[in-house]
Amino acid sequence: MAWNKPIIREIE
Amino acid sequence: MIADHDIPYLPRGVRVHRDRVRDAWVLLAPERAITLDAIGHAILSEIDGTRSFGEITAALAARYNAPAEDIARDSAGFLGALHDRRFLEVHS
Repeated sequence: MAWNKPIIREIE
Repeated sequence: MIADHDIPYLPRGVRVHRDRVRDAWVLLAPERAITLDAIGHAILSEIDGTRSFGEITAALAARYNAPAEDIARDSAGFLGALHDRRFLEVHS
């Protein structure tokens, strides 16, 4: 798997 | 901004969990949760409360065969965002 900028999604 | 010698750790009550409904990794805190993508999960998997940020990014650079400066920049942004939202603490 290649490196990518990580993503955060908040569960509301 | 997190520094190389800082030691990140998950505070009491925060843990990584596999959400089988969403089929995704999530980071759970009391009454709050965020979903993680594969890279976010990989970064958090390296955090054990004893290794420094520099050691963690070096391990990730070897694992992903990617430039260490890219990994350090993205990881610092990611962990900084978690720290701002109290999902992560740091021993300086």
